[in-house]
Amino acid sequence: MKKSKIKSIMLHLLLIIAVVITTYPLIRIFSVSIRPGDRIISTDLSIIPKGATFISYIKLFKETYFIKWIFNSLIITLSTSLIGVILASSAAYSFSRYKFFGKKIGLYILLFTQMVPAGMLILPLYLMIMKLNLINTYLGMIIAYSVSSLPFSIWILKGYYDTIPRSLEEAAMVDGANEIYAFYKIILPLSTPALSIAFLFNFTMAWNEYLVARVILYNPKSYTWTLGLFELQGQFITQWGMFAAGSIIITIPVLLIFLYSSKWLVSGLTLGSVKG
Amino acid sequence: MEYLTSFGEVLFFIITVLIGVLFIEIYLYLHFKLYDKKFYFFIPLISIFIFYLILKSINLYSTKTMFFITLGEILFSYLCVYRIKGKNYLPYMLVIPSFIGLALLLVYPFVFEVYLSFHDLKLTTILPWKETGKIPFVGLKQYINVFVLPPLSETTFWQLLGRTFLWTFSNVFFHVLGGFILALILSEIKMFKGIYRTLLVIPWAMPQVVAVLSLRGEFHSQYGFVNIVIKKLISTFPFLEKVGVAPVNWLSDHPLLTCTLINIWLGIPFMMVVILGGLESISKSYYDAASIDGATYLQKLKYITLPLIKPVLLPAVTLGTIWTFNNINVIYLVTGQAGGTEKADILVSALYKAAFVYNRYSYSAAFAMVIFLILTIITFLYSKIIKVENT
Repeated sequence: MKKSKIKSIMLHLLLIIAVVITTYPLIRIFSVSIRPGDRIISTDLSIIPKGATFISYIKLFKETYFIKWIFNSLIITLSTSLIGVILASSAAYSFSRYKFFGKKIGLYILLFTQMVPAGMLILPLYLMIMKLNLINTYLGMIIAYSVSSLPFSIWILKGYYDTIPRSLEEAAMVDGANEIYAFYKIILPLSTPALSIAFLFNFTMAWNEYLVARVILYNPKSYTWTLGLFELQGQFITQWGMFAAGSIIITIPVLLIFLYSSKWLVSGLTLGSVKG
Repeated sequence: MEYLTSFGEVLFFIITVLIGVLFIEIYLYLHFKLYDKKFYFFIPLISIFIFYLILKSINLYSTKTMFFITLGEILFSYLCVYRIKGKNYLPYMLVIPSFIGLALLLVYPFVFEVYLSFHDLKLTTILPWKETGKIPFVGLKQYINVFVLPPLSETTFWQLLGRTFLWTFSNVFFHVLGGFILALILSEIKMFKGIYRTLLVIPWAMPQVVAVLSLRGEFHSQYGFVNIVIKKLISTFPFLEKVGVAPVNWLSDHPLLTCTLINIWLGIPFMMVVILGGLESISKSYYDAASIDGATYLQKLKYITLPLIKPVLLPAVTLGTIWTFNNINVIYLVTGQAGGTEKADILVSALYKAAFVYNRYSYSAAFAMVIFLILTIITFLYSKIIKVENT
């Protein structure tokens, strides 16, 4: 009895150490963000520094284009996810419900696109977008992002549609609905969880993307937040406080959304993979 | 006002995309539905004319593209009239918009990359290419260059290759090890399990850019948390200094180690969640039976746990290997600033730098094809090994 108690205390201790390691960088970023202006760079390790202020946050909004960066990111991310989910939802339905010539090849193409390293396609995409004169525009970014997570979304949605019994649509068709109507009125509302997973996946993908944005956007006003933070962090000494404040503003909502949806996310991933 | 115009711009674009999809659907519908009517003859003609107008209006018109479009149209009409005959056309209508998107933005860039790798596009030839679309053909020269000329200013291909294997192996090894240990501990514990789990996945949940950039700051030689802790340790336990513990110039002297540490921190939670899922699906009765037979903890681990989580672990490790191999993000974010070091670059990050820092477009296209080949071979060998082990 006593032995197991010691063991359990030891395990808790180990976990607490692990938790400290995983959460400490976030806590420290927070403490840097509320340091007063003259002590942003210091070797101080306390969590709430002496004379804590929100001056870095205020400076971030006043001296940089932070709001614009968030707005740019939001607008690019929302439009790509919207396009991605609309295209994926109908293509996945077709793959799930019908047998047609070319279905197998289509699924193989989807797999193949997952094999190609994303970093490899940045160069041709950049050259294409340059040739279309879309450098430094939203459209260039949306075009570059829009299909990158399409194969994965199709895969997840197909897996989910497969779990919905065919008899639901058959019943509707007996009542006189055509196939398209049955899809929009019965299947789509039923697959809201899978649709939101696909949307969320598209969203996080584009929201956190950095490398493509780096080559397409070069005007500070049209940066996404990832580029903006990179610039702020680059000038380590001068803008560390603003960088920290920006990181906190970005991270907190993302963390909340992730923790709220993580249950679905994991189940959604298995849904997609179990049904191959 | 500025926000409104950009919002309008994007809205306009989305509507254009949707109208485009609608046009594709109408086009397909007309072909599939009216294939047996007498006036069907006109539909391909009108379509070709509309294609011509569209190409003219976006300045992509050339006789060559027009020829291919006409050819495609004829082929498609033939399929509609003699093969599909109005049967079972709905799946195509649902799939085709997505596949046009994939073809234009994933397959075409890939083909274009292959094309580039046999030509010579660099800073001096890019303007003529932009105007006329012509680049000199150089055959296999770029592929030879990949192995002869260093991809970055001094680091050679073979150095990068070795570093990539080192990077991939050490990362995946520690991800699995760390994830496995944490998952084992979590599965033993009953109190506060949910809270621990939530806090432990924070590195995975945080936006990667924020996580990497802030950790990069923590490795700063003077103000970074890592060195401050080392200094504090030395001042409290002076004997540590004699053993050789000293503050390190992480970013300039050991950039690859720094990147690896950061990436290990980032990657453990994913493995932990996956392995924990596997552990929780193992029935307790196996362990009970083993305990009755007097098995030790290690024996249980070896003969029950490991074989039973293998089906979960193998795909996760495969994915993890490919992700780590392809990880530009961490290395570029840590070393990508102007004047950043090259000592941490692996193949993919060198590819990115060769293309966008050194602007050697065709060279990096060939480089990309070589990397793609390496990755394909690794995946192929890997799947063979797994198959052999399973039989």
